[in-house]
Amino acid sequence: MKYFLTHVIDPDADWPEGLEDQLRGWVTEMDHRGVLIDGVPLRLDVPPTCVRRTQTGVVVADGPYAETKEQVAGFDLIEADDLDEAIAVAGAHPTLIGGAIEIRPVAPGMATPEPYEPRADREQYLMLVCWDQSGDAEIRDEGPGGADERRPIDDWIDHAAERRLHGSQLQPPALATTVRRVDGTVTVTDGPFAETKEQIGGYDLLEVTGLDEAVEIARDHGSGLIDLRLCSVGIQPEVAGGSTTA
Amino acid sequence: MSHLADPVAPVFAEEWGRLVAGLIAWCGDWELAEEAAQEAFARAVERWPRGGVPDSPAGWLTTVARNVVRDRLRRRGVETAKLALIGAGPDDGTEAPTGFPDERLRLIFTCAHPALPMPARVALTLRTLCGLSIAEIARAFLVTESTMDKRLVRARAKIRGARIPYRVPPPELLAERIDGVLAVIYLLFNEGYSASSGEELLRVDLSAEAIRLARLLHRMLPEEAEVSGLLALLLLTDARRAARTDGGEIVPLAEQDRSLWGRAEIDEGEALLAPLTGTPGPYEVQARIAVEHDTAATASETDWATIAALYELLPATPVVELNRAVAIAEIHGPEIALRLVDELSGDLDAYHLFHATRADLAARGGDEVAAARSLDRAIALAPTGPERRLLARRRAALADGVDGASR
Repeated sequence: MKYFLTHVIDPDADWPEGLEDQLRGWVTEMDHRGVLIDGVPLRLDVPPTCVRRTQTGVVVADGPYAETKEQVAGFDLIEADDLDEAIAVAGAHPTLIGGAIEIRPVAPGMATPEPYEPRADREQYLMLVCWDQSGDAEIRDEGPGGADERRPIDDWIDHAAERRLHGSQLQPPALATTVRRVDGTVTVTDGPFAETKEQIGGYDLLEVTGLDEAVEIARDHGSGLIDLRLCSVGIQPEVAGGSTTA
Repeated sequence: MSHLADPVAPVFAEEWGRLVAGLIAWCGDWELAEEAAQEAFARAVERWPRGGVPDSPAGWLTTVARNVVRDRLRRRGVETAKLALIGAGPDDGTEAPTGFPDERLRLIFTCAHPALPMPARVALTLRTLCGLSIAEIARAFLVTESTMDKRLVRARAKIRGARIPYRVPPPELLAERIDGVLAVIYLLFNEGYSASSGEELLRVDLSAEAIRLARLLHRMLPEEAEVSGLLALLLLTDARRAARTDGGEIVPLAEQDRSLWGRAEIDEGEALLAPLTGTPGPYEVQARIAVEHDTAATASETDWATIAALYELLPATPVVELNRAVAIAEIHGPEIALRLVDELSGDLDAYHLFHATRADLAARGGDEVAAARSLDRAIALAPTGPERRLLARRRAALADGVDGASR
C-alpha cells in the first residue's frame, strides 16, 4: 500500500549539526529497501501561494492553506506492507527531531509513478489540494468495472500532461496517523498533525517554468483551495562504493 | 448478549472472542466477522435448548458463522474466485491452523493499536473480544448508541483503510505494544471501579471484563512481568470492592471492614507477584503497594515505609508524589508531608484529591481552618456524588469541632 508522508516542522526547533547526513542516510536506506517512491523537501524561505475559488472567481493570495503551529516542510511517497511498516519508516526520519510526520494512505487506484529526471530548466511545485473533509469516509476500491470510467479530474490530468509528475487523492484525515518523538521515543497518535477546518486531501507534483504556470494549472483544477509550494532540490540516495549493484 | 438462554451463555463467554478473532483472520473483514459471530450465536440460542448443545460448540459456531460470511459475500456480488481466496470451499468446521496459541492474541493487539484513538481501542476490545453489545458499551461510557456505533465504524474503517496489520507485533515492537494493551485493560478496570460506587447501577461490570482480559493475556503471555503485574494489581484492588462502599457511600481504606476483603483474590495477586524478580515496572510496583495494604491486619499495622519506598520506584508524576506524601505523613508526621504536598499545588490545583489530602494533613496538624478551606475546594472539584458526599461528611465533622474528623 502507498502512504503519503507529510513532514511538518516547528519553526522554532533547533536542528543539530549533520542533519543533511542524517537525511541522506534515511533516503539511502529507504531507497535501498525499495520503500521510497519519491520525496521532496520544500523551500521554506519561499512563502506558499494559495489559489482559492470563491463565488466571485479565483483569488490568488499569499499564505498557506491553514495557519498551523507546525509548517509543512516536505513529503515522501512510500510503499509499505502495512501501517506498522509506514510508522517505522516515518519514525526513523530526522524530521522528528523538530517536527512530526503525518501518515496518510493514498486512495486506491494510483499507479506507481514513473521514475523521472528533474529538468534543470524547470521548477517543481507541490500542489496541495485542500478541502473540509469532516465526515468524509474512506475511499473504497470501486471493484471491477469502476476504474475504467472517466472522471472529471482526468481532463485536468490530460491538460497538465507532462507538467504533472505524479499525484493522487489521499484517504481522509479520519485515516491519518501522526508520528512524533517525545522524550526520545516515537509516539503514534490517531489523526492529522493539526485539527484544521481544511485538510490536505490530495497532492500533485508539478514541473513547470515558474509560479505563473503552476498557478495556471492550479486554476484549472477546479477544486476550492489549492496550496502551491516551491520544492527544493531533493536529497539523492548515496551510491555505495560501486560494489553493491548487481 | 448477557441475557442468553442457559446452554449458550457459558459458551458465549468462552467462545465469542475466539470465534470473532478466527473469523477476522479468515475473511479479513471485521464488521462481517462480528455480524456472522452474532448470527451464529443467535442460531445457537434458537436451536441448542431444543436440540441439545453440539459436541463441539466452537466447531458448530465456526461452521455456521463461516456460512453466514459466505452468504453475505455472495449477496454482495463477490465472485466465486474471491470466495475461494478466503478458503470458501466446504470445510469441516475446524479452526484453520495458525501459528498462534490463541487467535485472540492478534485481536487484542490490533484492538489496542496506537494509531487508533483510545476510546475506540476500548470500545473495539469490548465489542470484539468481550462480546458486549453496542448498547451495553454505549451505556458503560455514557454515550448514545449511535455515537458508540460511529466510533466503532470509524475504528474499523481505519484498520481497513490505513491497513493496520492483524497480528501479534514482531519482537522489536512487542514491549511497547504490550504497554498499549495493558493501558486499555487498566483504563477499562478503572472506569468500572470508579463507576462501582453507586450511581450507575445499570452499567455492565467493566472491572470484571478487565480482569477477564488480563487473565486471558496472562495465559497467553505468562513470561511478561508487566502482564502479571497488571493482573495482580487488578485482583488486589478488586479484592477490596465489597468493603469499599456501604449503601452507595464510599468507605475510605482505613475504615474498611477488612473481613470483607476477597481472600482468594489477594492470594492470587500475591502468587502472581512472587516469581517476579526483575526491575519492577509500574504495574508491578502498584501491585506491590496494593499487597502492603491488603495484607495489613489493621490500618495502623500498614507498612508505610515500604509503601513510601515503592512509590519512589514509580515515575515521579504529581499524582505519584501526592500518594508518596500520604505515606510519608504516616511515617514522619503531617508537617513534612504538607510541605511536600504544597509543592504540587501548581500541577494539581484542579484535582479534588490534592485538596482532600491537604485538608487531611492540615486537620491532623491541628489547623482546622485550613482543612475546612481545602475541603470546600475538594468538594467543588469532586467528580462523583459519592466522593462529594464523603468529603462533605468530613467537612461537617470539622465544623462540629470533632477532632481528627477525617480519620
